[in-house]
Amino acid sequence: MAFVSDGDDLFDSIIMADDRFRDEGYQEGFEEGTRQGTFEGRNHGLLHGAKLGAEVSFYYGFALAWKCLLQNSSDVKARKRLKAMESLIGVIQNFPYEDPQYEKLQEDMERVRAKFRQVCSLLNVATDFKEYVRGSTGMSF
Amino acid sequence: MKGALELLQRVSAHADACCWYVAWNPAGTLLASCGGDRAIRIWGKEGDSWECKSVLADGHQRTVRKVAWSPCGKYLASASFDATTCIWKKTNDDFESLTVLEGHENEVKCVAWAPSGNLLATCSRDKSVWIWEVDEEDEYECVSVVNSHTQDVKHVVWHPTQELLASASYDNKVCIYKEEDDDWECRATLEGHESTVWSLAFDREGRRLASCSDDRTVKIWKESTPGDGESVRISKHLLCSTDESWKCVCTLSGFHGRAVYDVAWCRLTGALATACGDDGVRVFREDPTADPEQPVFFMSAHVPKAHGQDVNCVSWNPKEAGLLATCSDNGEFAIWKYSSDS
Repeated sequence: MAFVSDGDDLFDSIIMADDRFRDEGYQEGFEEGTRQGTFEGRNHGLLHGAKLGAEVSFYYGFALAWKCLLQNSSDVKARKRLKAMESLIGVIQNFPYEDPQYEKLQEDMERVRAKFRQVCSLLNVATDFKEYVRGSTGMSF
Repeated sequence: MKGALELLQRVSAHADACCWYVAWNPAGTLLASCGGDRAIRIWGKEGDSWECKSVLADGHQRTVRKVAWSPCGKYLASASFDATTCIWKKTNDDFESLTVLEGHENEVKCVAWAPSGNLLATCSRDKSVWIWEVDEEDEYECVSVVNSHTQDVKHVVWHPTQELLASASYDNKVCIYKEEDDDWECRATLEGHESTVWSLAFDREGRRLASCSDDRTVKIWKESTPGDGESVRISKHLLCSTDESWKCVCTLSGFHGRAVYDVAWCRLTGALATACGDDGVRVFREDPTADPEQPVFFMSAHVPKAHGQDVNCVSWNPKEAGLLATCSDNGEFAIWKYSSDS
């Protein structure tokens, strides 16, 4: 609250009441909004991070399992597949899990997904692990 | 260099459906067409007219969007909305289905063979570009999946001499890809079009790339290689680490009334042909007196109602100069003779 001087403080506090209450109200609202925002943001980050983490770890587990299966094979084709698998593992291991503000996050995620699709194609494994159905009944040109 | 397009023949190729694409074989003796009726038809000349030699009807469950001949002419690849790419082998007079490439999540929009014959590229509405390698036993293997576009990828085309790939997308951009450590990645993104880029074509040497778009323009892009003044200036300013940068050196605007769906650059004459949504076919020639860094193209021939509906594709015969094939939404294709007084 502004320093109240003797003399015109009585009229001052009446005339400026509107502004003062508006300022107080704004301040309260801003603080409340910040609290709510932090709360929502944390939840959003938790959910989104969990989804992303689940996706990446799925690919990781998949790659490690196949690596085990292919490791002992002397077949030429298996070597090629093993190489691709190791490449996928490499991309995942270089993924910075700790940093949510990593600027190349989207780009790297796309790279991981693309590598996964390529590996599945080499293994002849269908990639409909997720249960969603991508309908393509619309028009296409 | 005023020119003219003379209609030689009009053929109703795909009954009650769109004819989406036509492609000449490398020898220039056969024309493959594909369409909304899920079939591919091979046409050959008998006397003075083009007749249907084969029908490949059971390869796909949905529209066949594009077909491409291998550089040796013995194989045909077809890209379909059923999310698969079929490889056909030519045996005497017929074609048999060799293999089906699966993997794309939805409609495959384009397939293209690299000039070496060992690589194949496909692109799809799933926003990805796939590069496949074929070995001596006709086995196809996916070498790379690249997700550089943010929307439907409409077209892929290989460079005529280098192992370089270009793609065009609904996201208004063109991407250039090169191989790095056994993996293909996007090396350059060409921005400038204001809407979907429908198709691409390299010139004979591969120094320039033509792109056509829904924004009714055709853009010519040129690669500036290190060593020439242009790119040195650019690299100093942007501190870019890439060896090459593509910039737009020419924009053809005001010629097309609607979206430009296809562009083809003749390897024999250097003429540029376009297929437009206003039903017209146009041929552009380059002004030989213009500065190579700032090429000028002018319209040499124009047939306003080449077809009754949208023209989807335009293709120059690789052996016979001036012979042009076009096809349309009304299911027909047409053969034209382009001539100019130069």
